[in-house]
Amino acid sequence: MTESSTPLSDTTDATGPGGPVLAYTTLRETARSRSLIDHIAASASLYAMLIPTFLLLALFCLVPFVIAIWRSFQEYEVGGTAKFVGLANYREYLFHDYTFLQSFGNMIFLTLFAVICVMIVPLIVAKLIFSLTSERASYIYRILFLIPIIVPNVAIFLIWRGVIYGDDGLLNLVSRALHLPLPAHGWFSTPSTVLWAIAFIGFPFAGGINILIYYAGLTSIPDSVHEAAELDGAIGLRKFFTIDVPMVMSQIKLLVMLTIIGGVQAFEGVYILTGGGPGFRSLVPGLWMYDNAFKFQRMGYACAIGVILFLLILALTIFNMRYFRSAEQLQGQTR
Amino acid sequence: MKQKRSDIFIHLILLTILGLTLLPFVFVINNSFRRTNEQYHSFFGVPESASNLVRFTWFKLTGQPDRIELRIMPERKDGKAQTVRAADVPMTRISYGEAMSNCWHELYKGFVYAWQVFRPFMINSLIVSISSAFGVVLVSSISAYVFARYRFPGHRALFFVIISFMMIPWVLTLVPSFLWVKTLGLINSYWVLILPYIAGGQIIAIFLFKGFFEGLPEELFESARLDGAGHFAQYWNIVVPLSKQIMAVVVIVNILGTWNNFLWPLIANPDQKFSVVSTGLYYLSQTQAAGNGDKSTMFAAYVIASIPLLVLFIYATKPFMTGVTAGAFKA
Repeated sequence: MTESSTPLSDTTDATGPGGPVLAYTTLRETARSRSLIDHIAASASLYAMLIPTFLLLALFCLVPFVIAIWRSFQEYEVGGTAKFVGLANYREYLFHDYTFLQSFGNMIFLTLFAVICVMIVPLIVAKLIFSLTSERASYIYRILFLIPIIVPNVAIFLIWRGVIYGDDGLLNLVSRALHLPLPAHGWFSTPSTVLWAIAFIGFPFAGGINILIYYAGLTSIPDSVHEAAELDGAIGLRKFFTIDVPMVMSQIKLLVMLTIIGGVQAFEGVYILTGGGPGFRSLVPGLWMYDNAFKFQRMGYACAIGVILFLLILALTIFNMRYFRSAEQLQGQTR
Repeated sequence: MKQKRSDIFIHLILLTILGLTLLPFVFVINNSFRRTNEQYHSFFGVPESASNLVRFTWFKLTGQPDRIELRIMPERKDGKAQTVRAADVPMTRISYGEAMSNCWHELYKGFVYAWQVFRPFMINSLIVSISSAFGVVLVSSISAYVFARYRFPGHRALFFVIISFMMIPWVLTLVPSFLWVKTLGLINSYWVLILPYIAGGQIIAIFLFKGFFEGLPEELFESARLDGAGHFAQYWNIVVPLSKQIMAVVVIVNILGTWNNFLWPLIANPDQKFSVVSTGLYYLSQTQAAGNGDKSTMFAAYVIASIPLLVLFIYATKPFMTGVTAGAFKA
């Protein structure tokens, strides 16, 4: 049994109680005496157990990735013939596409808005929940603020369109009752309001998991830090900004990063609510990619837009690589 | 004492924010009980049939049965929307029992229509979400077990390969995935959803499982090996029974993701026969012909679409809370 495989404790019989690290080093020594091929052959059943994972990854992650790159250099229609065009798709999108500036501007606006919201509201709510003396009350609040997550995203967009922004919706009702100088209806069809209307979906931006993430960060601040701060006379808002905010900085960075990555890709809401209109006033690059692929049948061009968005996300990710390490730590904390 | 007062203040702020957060959903639930003419009259208000139920019971208790009267709207046989104006229908005096059953029927009518239209979407979503969640648990727990408990040539490199797939954003692969599954001939099937969901969902799951499996005590595996258990037997007899909690978390992470996914089902399953809840809601909102054309139908559909996750949330609150936070890092 021990010959055919290399479990962690292979060496425990010989070397007495040995942790995984010790087992691993001794194992490497034995591996040197054996040939690598023997070793691989001995682990054949382990490789076999990994086949489903790698088969699925290859089929549904790697192949689409390769196709994306490959097709982005082609002029290609489904059912039609593909023509190699080099960097023409990229050049066209970056320099000659009349939607490029508008859609990137919209994307940046919506993403920045979401980033500001995710930095402020959930953190304040988490802090308020955390300051409650009753453990039970704080737990109940955490659960109640999580409720919006059970409603499908599509439903959230449609609900906001109907209940809040609809002709008879809450916003028009309030604006009529108070005689506010707001457009009476058509929040999504008025060019000047459409982006704000989309950005404000989800107001007051407190529902969901962000509170839980901040709350986990706040609970991990040691009591001694709080006590020391209070001894130094830091209370209330001052304590919040000098102690709490710096101590949850890794959570803030993480959520900002995730919001940016999500924001670059997001187009589901715009697709459902406005289709990018009026005109291109609410168009985002992701939706333009979708339109090119499924409305104009320009698959190669769509792939090129996808690759550009991928490179943008990759650059942002590499820039923030270390924040992903804090994600692992966070998972441990919230459990 | 000071602590108490500040607590009340905090409660007030939190309840205000909570109220604003949940307000749209309150209106949705409320309007799912209100007929088209009610909603047309005023978009926000107490459902008429609910208030009638209370009113008629009051009349009955106070001995004024002659005040129990209703407008009985004629039912159209073809199941189309009402064309008769409510004001044109005369009030009819009816018995208490009749009035009650009539009001109850009116109250949940939207749900009956919504369920008629929505049932296939719900079934599709349940099939896809549940089978992909269990697929992810099976595939990723086996792989994570191998990575967590064994050292073999290339184990670091292979694990790095898996993790590096996290760097591929969905927006890049959306269109090419469509081209690829079209080539494979998977378009308009359950597989076109389930297989990519397993492929994508397993990455974060392997990550979660690996961390957990590494913490399992080695003695258990040792004694199993002494009994002659092979790799798979160890996985099945030791790992699986000890990992119910983390498996529940992984199931929830995946069900949340797949239940919510909209763009991939929209692209990959253009045939409405395989529509899931999210695309179903979208089509329903596009056609406006939901059920009987009654406005309550759409609202009832939102409620119905949320029930499975609500049940999951109530039934497994703890793993749910862990799951949603873990799922956040999937992006």
